[in-house]
Amino acid sequence: MIPFAQIPQLAAAAMLGLTLTTGAAEAPQRIDVTKLSKRVDDVVVPLPNEVFGALNKLGPVNWKEHVRSGKGSNFTERPRIALLLGTVIADGFIAVQAEDAPAVKDIGQRVLGLAKGIGVGNSITPHAKAITEAADRRNWNNVRQELDRTQNSVQQAMNDVQDQKLSHLVSLGGWLRGTEVLTAVVNKRYSEDGAELLHQPDLLGYFEDRLRAMPEFNSKLLQDIQAGLGQVRPLVDIGNKRISADSVKRINEITARIDEAIITKSP
Amino acid sequence: MLSPLKQTASLAALLSILLAGIPASRASVDDAQSFALQAAEPYVKEGFQVREDFWGGDLGTGEKKAVRQQLFKGNEYWFWMGTEVEKATISVHIYDAEGKLVEQPDSWQKSHFAAAHVIPPTTGSYFIIVSIESSPEDRTHWALVYGFR
Repeated sequence: MIPFAQIPQLAAAAMLGLTLTTGAAEAPQRIDVTKLSKRVDDVVVPLPNEVFGALNKLGPVNWKEHVRSGKGSNFTERPRIALLLGTVIADGFIAVQAEDAPAVKDIGQRVLGLAKGIGVGNSITPHAKAITEAADRRNWNNVRQELDRTQNSVQQAMNDVQDQKLSHLVSLGGWLRGTEVLTAVVNKRYSEDGAELLHQPDLLGYFEDRLRAMPEFNSKLLQDIQAGLGQVRPLVDIGNKRISADSVKRINEITARIDEAIITKSP
Repeated sequence: MLSPLKQTASLAALLSILLAGIPASRASVDDAQSFALQAAEPYVKEGFQVREDFWGGDLGTGEKKAVRQQLFKGNEYWFWMGTEVEKATISVHIYDAEGKLVEQPDSWQKSHFAAAHVIPPTTGSYFIIVSIESSPEDRTHWALVYGFR
């Protein structure tokens, strides 16, 4: 495989002046989606900054008030660490939105510590270094890319040792924290467009299915998350109707409660 | 400055030369992903963040597969598809949850590269349909990556 990093050099060498025809191939204007028998089951869970970017376009957001970079509790249960990893990576995206370099660097180190705790630290070390360097240069695009790479590497490493279920929990942790912050922002200044960003019923269904498929992780935390997702579903799975301000507030309460449970050691 | 499409074509020409010596048996979805990323590379300069995660597999000629993806109104997305089989022709198209084609007219297809551009009119699930239109291989590896801004 040709490394992605070499592509610009290759491009320079490859200016062959080819003439191209543009334009998409003829595609039917309509298809019957109920008859799509061959589907790819893999889901690429959107990054928190995908929704944050859309939110930014609706008006200024004070991201600084959502930055969280504390050291946090240490855990030994692998499912909890996986959820926390996803949450902390989401915190990294929030710190990038706030352009808070010290917080980004703290979060990079926290991610590395958690990854070590779950046995996948080696694959994260170069990313943690790259996050720190990019934050020092305030190169926020590079930090975003490295955070995505970090999450991808963590999940690849988990998949390599047949820990796909933990990999799903990383995605879920990130989604929950991202949704908590999204609802906090929209709750503060409600708009229908902002609330519409919560219209993610298929993604919710995906996470519910994944949780149902991990009965061996029979912890109270995962049960609470499953119950919480069940409470969120009727608030967002409403077809073409608008998601109300009350629903946004309720989803914020649910996701904030779950997030608190993820990051806090139970008595 | 070359348009992203022309840059992609130039890269394609060089990559085809470089990868021509790879036996088919050694080719893989990873190679297909390299080509999908090739198609994406010019758009990074235009501010698109290309995701590390991707979809991939293999398909026979004439076969299609649907990928479902959550998209957010307010963002702009490109989906780039590639295969290492240089004589293959592939396509990618985007439909909304009702089955209506929603891609922008600058979506494009060129032999073993294809790309679809969408500015989602609503937040929700969309279907990305990938297809191997023609190929000299029985099964053709494909990969699909996406980026947003």
